[in-house]
Parts: sequence; C-alpha cells; structure tokens
Amino acid sequence: MKRIILSFLAIAYSTFLLAQEEIILEGKELFGDLKARQIGPALMSGRIIDLEAHPTNNKIIYVGTAGGGVWKSNDGGSSFNPIFDEHAQSIGVVAVDPTDPDKTIWVGTGEIWTRNSVSIGDGLYKSTDGGVNWDKIGFDKSERISSIEINPNNGNEVYVGVLGALWSDSDERGVYKTIDGGKTWSKILYSDAKTGCTDLVMDPKDPNILYASMWEFRRTAWSFSSGGLNSALYKSTDAGKTWNKIHNGFPKGKLGRIGFALAPSNSNILYSVIESEENKDKGLYRSDDGGKNWKHLNNDFGLVVRPFYFSRIVVDPRNPDIVVKGGLFGSISRDGGKTFKGLGQMHPDIHDILFDINDSDRMYSGTDGGVYRSWNGGTTFEIVANLPVSQFYHISIDDKEPYNIYGGLQDNGSWYGPSSSPGGIEARDWNVLGFGDGFRVLKHPTKDIVYSEMQGAENVWRYDLVKKRTKTIQPLPVKGDPKLRFNWNAPMAISKHQPDRFYMGSQFLHKSEDMGNTWTKISPDLTTNDPTKQDQSKSGGLSVDNSGAENHTTIFTIAESPIDEKVIWVGTDDGNVQITKDGGKVWTNTVKNIPGLPANTWCYHIEASVHDKGTAYAVFEGHTYGDMNTYVYKTSDYGATWKSIVTPEIKGFARNIQEDYVQPDLLFLGTEFGLFITVDGGKHWNRFTNNMPAAAVHYIELSEKTNDLILGTHGRGIIIIDDISPLREINQKVLNENVHFFATKPTIISEETNFGGTSTEMEFVGPNPNRDAKIVYYLKKRHTFGKMTMDVYDKDGNHVIDLSPGKSKGINVVTWNYHIRQPKLAKGKSFSFGGFTSPRVEAGTYRVVMRKGKESYETQIELVNDPNSLLTDAERKQLHETTMKLYDMSEQLAYMVYKIDATVEKADQVMTISKKGNAAAKPVADKMNALKEKLVVTTGDNYVGTAEPQLREKLSDLYSKIASGFDVPSSSEIDNLSLLEGQYNDAKAEFEKIMGKEVSKMNKFMGEAQIDPLVFKSFESFIED
Amino acid sequence: MKTKLTLIIVVLFMTGFTYAQTADEIVNNYFENTGGAEAWGNLKSMKIQAKVNQGGMEIPLEIVSMKDGRQYTKISLQGNSFMQGVFDGETLWNMNFQSMKAEKADAEATANQKLDANDFPYDLYNYKEKGYKLELVGEEKVEGTDTYKLKLTKEPISVDGAKVDKVSFYYFDKDNFIILMQEEEILSGPAKGNISQVVFSDYDEVDGLYFPFSMTQGIKDGQSQPIIIESIVANPVVDESLFAFPSGQ
Repeated sequence: MKRIILSFLAIAYSTFLLAQEEIILEGKELFGDLKARQIGPALMSGRIIDLEAHPTNNKIIYVGTAGGGVWKSNDGGSSFNPIFDEHAQSIGVVAVDPTDPDKTIWVGTGEIWTRNSVSIGDGLYKSTDGGVNWDKIGFDKSERISSIEINPNNGNEVYVGVLGALWSDSDERGVYKTIDGGKTWSKILYSDAKTGCTDLVMDPKDPNILYASMWEFRRTAWSFSSGGLNSALYKSTDAGKTWNKIHNGFPKGKLGRIGFALAPSNSNILYSVIESEENKDKGLYRSDDGGKNWKHLNNDFGLVVRPFYFSRIVVDPRNPDIVVKGGLFGSISRDGGKTFKGLGQMHPDIHDILFDINDSDRMYSGTDGGVYRSWNGGTTFEIVANLPVSQFYHISIDDKEPYNIYGGLQDNGSWYGPSSSPGGIEARDWNVLGFGDGFRVLKHPTKDIVYSEMQGAENVWRYDLVKKRTKTIQPLPVKGDPKLRFNWNAPMAISKHQPDRFYMGSQFLHKSEDMGNTWTKISPDLTTNDPTKQDQSKSGGLSVDNSGAENHTTIFTIAESPIDEKVIWVGTDDGNVQITKDGGKVWTNTVKNIPGLPANTWCYHIEASVHDKGTAYAVFEGHTYGDMNTYVYKTSDYGATWKSIVTPEIKGFARNIQEDYVQPDLLFLGTEFGLFITVDGGKHWNRFTNNMPAAAVHYIELSEKTNDLILGTHGRGIIIIDDISPLREINQKVLNENVHFFATKPTIISEETNFGGTSTEMEFVGPNPNRDAKIVYYLKKRHTFGKMTMDVYDKDGNHVIDLSPGKSKGINVVTWNYHIRQPKLAKGKSFSFGGFTSPRVEAGTYRVVMRKGKESYETQIELVNDPNSLLTDAERKQLHETTMKLYDMSEQLAYMVYKIDATVEKADQVMTISKKGNAAAKPVADKMNALKEKLVVTTGDNYVGTAEPQLREKLSDLYSKIASGFDVPSSSEIDNLSLLEGQYNDAKAEFEKIMGKEVSKMNKFMGEAQIDPLVFKSFESFIED
Repeated sequence: MKTKLTLIIVVLFMTGFTYAQTADEIVNNYFENTGGAEAWGNLKSMKIQAKVNQGGMEIPLEIVSMKDGRQYTKISLQGNSFMQGVFDGETLWNMNFQSMKAEKADAEATANQKLDANDFPYDLYNYKEKGYKLELVGEEKVEGTDTYKLKLTKEPISVDGAKVDKVSFYYFDKDNFIILMQEEEILSGPAKGNISQVVFSDYDEVDGLYFPFSMTQGIKDGQSQPIIIESIVANPVVDESLFAFPSGQ
C-alpha cells in the first residue's frame, strides 16, 4: 500500500514539476500586441448571401456574407461594421426578432448558395444586445442554415430551416422549432439524410401558418446533383405539428431546388420558382389561394438559371405584384410575375434583394461582388464601397518596396495592389490582371511580368506590366495527348532557380523555360485518372451545370524545392503526392506512406522546405467527402515517411501551410476557421485572433524582406501580420523570463513625403503598416499594480522621451516615431501652428529603459538614415543643427516672454500700492508690454480672425518648415533665419535694457517698500512646467 | 515527506476548483480591494494631471470631476487653456479651438451627461441604488489575464431622437477583482457600431484609494491612445468658477 502511495506521489509530483516548467500560452496570451492589418480590397467586394432589415428602423441593415461574417449598417446602408468576427464567417441567414428588434438577432451560419467553393458554417448563434456579443445556440453539425422565422407575437417561438451538409449524408437537416428561445429544439420536418430546407417562411399575419421548401441535393468534388423525389413544398397550419405537400399545379416527377416567397401585403399570394425535369415546366409559379392551386407564369432565362445559386424570390412588402428574382443579372416583375425585366447594372450573380421597410424605391442587392443600393426601384445601382469581403483563392507577393500582393478572387478576376500606399491602401491602388474567376497570380521573379489565369486555365495570361502587353500561354494539347484536365483552380508555379521557368499542372506537369511560349510535359498522368470522376457534362442534376467547377483528377499544387531545382513535388485533387528528384524523369507517389490519411483526400498544398531539400509539408482536406478533419504532414526524407503535425488545438480543415525562413519549427497554418501558429514544429498550435476574423485562410505568404505574414482569405480579403520575427525567438527559456526584449531590425527614418489619399468618406481604406521604431518585449505576467515606465536615452545618456509601455502578458509592441516633444512656445493669444511640429532625432543607437516596480530592464534600438536619402551626411547634420537652433530659439523666446509676463504681473501689483509705486512700475509695464507685442500675437483667434504674426510665429513657421522636411536649409531659409535671429537678438537686448533700467528702479522701490522681490524660475524648470 | 504530499494535493485541489462569483460580489470585492466602499463614498472630488502624445506632440490634460457630477477637462496648448467636456450640473460646454470661445453642446449630449451626474466616482459605485442592472455574462482573457466579464446597463440615453440602452462591459481580474478593461458600443457619430475600449493598469494608492495611473483608450482591434497619468489628487482644491459657462464672451 505504501508503495502504491509513493508511486502515485511520484507521478503527481513529476506532473506538477512539468506543469511548472513548461509554459504553454494560448492565443492572445502569446501574441499580445501582434495585430493583423486588414487591407481589403473592397472595391470589388465579395459574395453576399443574405440581407436583412430591422422591421421598424430603416437605418439598420444586416448583411450575411459567404465568407466574411455578418456586417451591420446603422446609417441606411452607407457604411457597415463587422459584428461576427469571432465565429464562422460563412453565413446562411440573418434574422431580427420582431418582438425585440433592437437587441435580439439570430445568425445561421453556412452559406446556402451551394457552389463548388462554398465555405461551411458551424451552427446557430443569437445576440441579445444588437450584435455586440453572441451565444452559440447549437446545430453544430448543421453546416448550412437557410432560414430563421420568429413568431412576431412571441420571440421565444423560433423555427429554423436547416439545409444541412452539402457533401455528405446528415440527419441534422429539415425544420426545427423551439418555444423557449433556443434552449430546447424539436425536429418538426425531416425527409431524409440528403434533403434539407431551403426556404422556411412564416405567414406574418398568422404565425401558425408555415411554408417549407425541401431540396434533395449533393455535391462531390467532381459532380453536383440537384433534385429528387424528396424535393417538395410543404405547408403547415398548426405551427409545424403537421405538414402537407402543396403541389397542385406543380410539375410532376423529380423536383430540384424550390425558391419560395409570400407576399407580405397579402398572405394568400405565394410565389415559387421551381427546378423540374422538363425545361418547359421550370420557372415561376404563383398561387392566389395560399397554396391550394398553382399557376405556371414564366420560364424566362432569368427565372430558371442555375437554381442552386439563384433560387431567391422577394416580394415588395407593400405591393404583392412586384416580384424580384435573384439570378445572373436579377429580374423584376411589376405585373405579378407574368413578365420580367432585368434589374439595373451591377455585379452579376444576384443572391438576395431587400426592399426598404418604408420606401420600395429604395432597394439593396447582394451579389457575388458586394452589396448595391438603388434609389429608383432597381433601375440603377451603386456599390457599397466599404465591405472588404473579397474572396481570394490564392495570393503571392513580390520583392518590391513596398511589396505588392497578387491574387485571384471568386468571380472577381485577378488583382494586385501594394502593402502600403500614401494615405492608406485605397480602391485606386488595386490593378486588375484578368477576367472571370481569378485564382493564382504569380509575379516573374526578376521581370515586370505577371502570370494570371481564369477558371480551368481557359486563359492563362502573361502580362507585361510596363509595356502593357498580354499573351495567353496556357499549355495546349499536342499530338498524342489525351484531353488535358485542368482544375477549376489550376496550379502554376515559378522557380527560385530559373527566373523564366514556369510550371502548370493539368493531369501532367507542364514545364516551360521561356515564360510559357514552349511547353514540355515532364511527367506521366500523376493523378488516379479515375474515369468515374471525369464526366462533368452530366453534372448538375435536373439542371445541367457544366461550368468546369467540378473538373477532377487534376494536379492541384506544384512545388519546386528552393534548394534543388531537380526536386519537384506535385499534389493532386484526388489525393496523390508525387515527387521527382531528377527534374521529372522518375516520379514516385508517396501518398501510401502517409499514415491516417483517408484515400483520395485532396492534396491542397505542398510546401517544399527552405531549410532542407528532403523536407516538405503536405496539407490535405477532405471536406468534399464530408470529412472536416485537419490533415497536415511533414516528411524529412523525400516522402518515404510522413508524420502528422496536427493537434486538437487546430479548428477546421486546413488548406495551406507556410514555413518560416529562419526558424524551422515556426509554421503558419490556414484553416477554414482562421490562422494557427506553432513555434515548436507542431507540438502545440495557437489560434491567432488579434484583429483576425475566423475567416477561411486559403493561402499564406511570408515576406523575406519584411517578415510580414500575408494571408489570402476567402471572405475578408488580404490580411497582414506585420513582422512576425519576435515569434522566432519564442522558446521555453524566453517564456520563463519575466521580461524578454526581442531583437528588432534597425528602423529606417523614412524621408518619403506625400499628400495622402483620395478616398471619399464611405470608401474602405486599408491601414498602412506602422514604420515607427519598435520596442518589442515579452512579459511573463500582466502588469497591473504600480508604476511601469519606459524612457529613451541617446548615446550620451540624455533623456530623449518617455513612452507608454504595454502591460499585456505575452508580446508587447511599443512604437516610437523617433521624434521628441514639440518646443515649448511663448504664451500668446492664439496658436502658432508651426510650434506643433516635433523634431526628429538623429540616426543612431538609443537606449530604452523599462522600469517596473523596483526592477529595471534595458534594451537598445537603432535608427538608420533612409538609404534613398537625397542628403549627404554633412547636409543632414546642417539640417538637424538648424532645426535644433530654431527649436532652442523658440524655447528661449518662450522663456523671455514668461519673464516679461512675470515682470508685468509684478509691475501691475506694484502700481496699485501707491503713487510712488505707480511711478516706479508703470514704465516697466509699458515697456515690457510694448516689447511683448513684437514677440507674440496678443489678439485674434485660431482661424480667420488670426492676428498679424510676430517673432514667435515667424520663428516657429521657419522652424516647422525646416524641421518637417528632408532638405538642407535653402539659402532663402538661411537668410530668413538670420533676419529672425537679428530680431531675436534685438529683442533680447531690449529686454536686458529694460531689466537694467526700468526694472532695476522698480526693484529698488520694492526693496524699500518691502515687497517680495521678482524671482524667475530657471529656464529648465520653466520648460518642465 | 508527509507535509510535501499534503501540500501537493492541496495545490492540485485548489487549482482545479474555482468559486462561483456573483456580479455583486465581484464589484464589492473590487471596491473593497481598492480602498473600501466607505472610503470611495467619502471621496468628494478628484483631479487628474495627465498627458497624451500624438505623433510627437505632447498635450497636457487636467481632468476634474466632482461628486455632484460637475466636471471639466482642461487642455493646455502653447500656454492657452482649452476647456472641454465642461459640465456645471446644467450646461455641457466646450471651447471651440478655432474661435477660442465656449459653445454649448447639443441638447441630447447635455441630457445624456445629466444622467451620468450621479456616477461619481464610477458608474459601478452604488449601482443598485441608482437602478442600474449588473450581470455576470462570462469569463474572458484580457491582455493574457483571466477576467470576469460584467455587463452594466444604465438609464437609456437619447441618440438622434431615439432612446437607446447605455451598456458597458467591465472586465475584472479574476485574481484580485481589479478592473482591467471597459468596453462600450459607440452609440452615435460616424464610429457608431464600433466598440470602444479603455484598458487600465498601473494601479496605485492615493489617500488610501487605488486608481489606475495608466489608461489606453481606443477602438477594439483598431488604433489606441495611451493616457499617461502623472498625478491624481483626491479631494483637491478646485476653482469652482471654471465650471460655469462663460457669459458675455
């Protein structure tokens, strides 16, 4: 017994010790002040799923996006704020509780327009404070929620339509009901594991009447199927207890997706848009008797096009005959659905329309390219310019300064834009690089040439950015070739070793050594070549949909080793991981060596290591089989063995991994729900959440020059984490220190100046990186009690400035814009604006001392001059000296004015004492006041009532002119300086003269009258004051 | 050996066990740990000398608040004082930086300010008597520290003609019940809908009460501005004339 206790004790003790030693920080604890920068772009925006109005306040509008979360407008759709960043960003529906519309909002996640590239949701959420905080209500496995209906008389009675899993069977589908505000749910309508609810609508006049359309559907990676015998439209008149099909007048046979709407102004009028077996039966149906009978009205293209993408009907809330249908361009009928015309021009692919609650001429439209507003009933539309919900499939960067980011977007072409720009990164900074859907975009390593593509490599463009010339260069079949199979998102790659080399992957790996003019196949078919996954002409179900989006058994990722150009990796969408070590002569499929990976799991990315040519990372994802697990593997022996580096800390299936160039164990992983980082080669992963929404990260790049991590998200545009280098130093030793300063690169004192941007008020502008000097440190514990300060000293030990240190546990970043405080100016009646300029310090090494309680910690930072400077060292010295001379003169003048004011104050006091006192002091006051009037303005205001400038104003204007620029002082400035210096010296002499004469006399009188003498503060204490 | 064993078991036991706190207990603990509810109740006024640094420009501030709700912030620039957010109990006013003259705030802002007149020293103080609602809504990490998140609902305020709930979230350090952060939804103006944050640290004693000597104000996930507090005086001598709206200017 004793022995058992002892061994138990030993285990407990050692666990205890281990727990003491190893510090594992979670998320924000580790990342501290490292913060993401969301730079958009918003000019082409991204796919919108659902629009929702507040029922009584037309200033409030909600937007549910495909991959960018929920956005709320408080100004009638002029601007939007994200309100759902911490949760799944793919949205199916947003609903406002009509009984508590200011506060209670429901969000069903998982988009419902089920294209090939859709993201997934993770359930139902509710906010009871207008969207500030959210509670997860459940439906974790629902994947897609299409509808939420709330009883207008009882906010606790809620119905939820679950579309459910797109890629697999699932029984979490159909219609659910709660009568306790979401605590408990009952499933009240269910067909089978393949059929989900697309539209659930409550009669606003009778909450017991419900309509539910059910849809049988399924996607695989290589096919789509819409329709079946289970697709149907149901009605319940008893609050969901019983349901009956209402198909009288509907087409016979299998049905596909059914879009349903009820006219809010007349509950008997219903519209359905139906996908059916026969083309002649498809399109719009109307019932005027609450669904007892239906009449087929219209099968125009706009009514039948791509039902899985466009089955949305919206009826004007005031007029039952005005009907809008989503579609490629969107259609509107003003005669009850008999005839339609197109909506006004906007981005194609219209998914939802919202009428203003008071004025039907005001309409909002949700498209593949953002939200649009119309003020004239849908005739013309304008885009909302501040919704950065762009959906990147892929990104890359170049090595320019600032570097550019290149990438392709869902239905929005290909683009490039800068990582920083004067005034912020604006719409005008982005340049278009292709048509159609955009995917991979790669910059030639040395030339001003960019490769871009559209879906299925239908066009691969080689674009000369300087000469503005385009050539299409996609590999073409040659004699003996089978049909080339390119993925929708076809892979391309460039080489670190040969700048003109360009790879593309079909089922074969194609290589060009002349930028795409000449192609050579350097592999056999590297896929499984499974013919059962290759017949896309029949894809779509009841409506054939052969867009190329389902092309399968193709190469998806290509990676040439940065160390050895003969080592090339290829991953395929049907799960092969192929390697050649001889430039393509012999290929080996290594997927059989990967433990725990289901067969045919899509190889999304292979990262060939920069540290070792036998090392690579492979990322797989099986979501197109309904497998939402994370698969990330590492090999160090060319694929002979693979090891999983996944832990339960990772959420969501992964698509991309980025290896750090310096610290081999620092890895960045992009998943369906955000960014995960490991500093120990995958033993522990941390989710990065600082200004980083839970958006799907499709591709990650790391800048070798700046150490910035750049994320291409599928729903929130480009997100950058500036300079991740502190993470390279994180290890157990550092984490056990109370304070650890991280090494920082020297800060360049940038001499570039600009006049800012041109964006208008409601346009999105992406923030620029902070280029200030940075003091970066780790705190083991958050500082809460007692003083914590940070002071900067120059090389001679002079105090330069005090900064506000960060107090967070984890990484803190304190910035300093390498300026000292502005000069203390003489007190005048109004501002001398030049005096608000702070002078820069000189380049050099500065000592930073952080004091925390009794402890003091030190580091150094370095400032260096701009390598692009137009100044010589001597000129820069002259600039600095002139600046500081004017700075000092301004402060000396301030001190003189202080002394004048103090003297006048005293004189005023003495004058009141007696006639004699008046005689002794009046000349002092008169002379001093007269002098002061020449030194500072004593009248006027800070705008157009400003007074004639005096010496203070002239000095500080010249000071500011010189201090804020990067030029050696010009001869005109020097001449002006000597003029002012003369005036200053004259004033000083005059002051001394008055002091020697009139003030002396007054002092004498004061001595006799036993009045306290005039005492001035020292210059130093005046400045400090 | 036995002592060591007992100790380990106690440690393991304690770390796996947390007390369920109520919102009221958390706030009471906070006031107790920062000087005691009675001492806070005896506080009549306070004056804060602080500075902010904007791009190298240092701006000194003097912030005075009184038990009866009167308050002002004095900004000093080039020897001139600019009174901002001045409230004399009836009138809320600011000095215009261009004309350098006092101007009254709009009626809504003034009415909303009046509602806060009973919130000295803090809105959490005597929250029940004031009819405010306080709830413990969860636990969250703030700057790497475990906190309780409390929601305080005050009287509704007026925003563009409509009544809107005035809600603040307070984050209390779980170890010592000190407030680490306050959050509010911005209810008006162009930033409406964003979340404002104030992060507190450097708590220190002034006449037996603990005040934060460092505050960083900003927008959640956006820019923030530290305020360096140089001194706090409890029950200072205050020039009462400063609160009144200057007439005849």
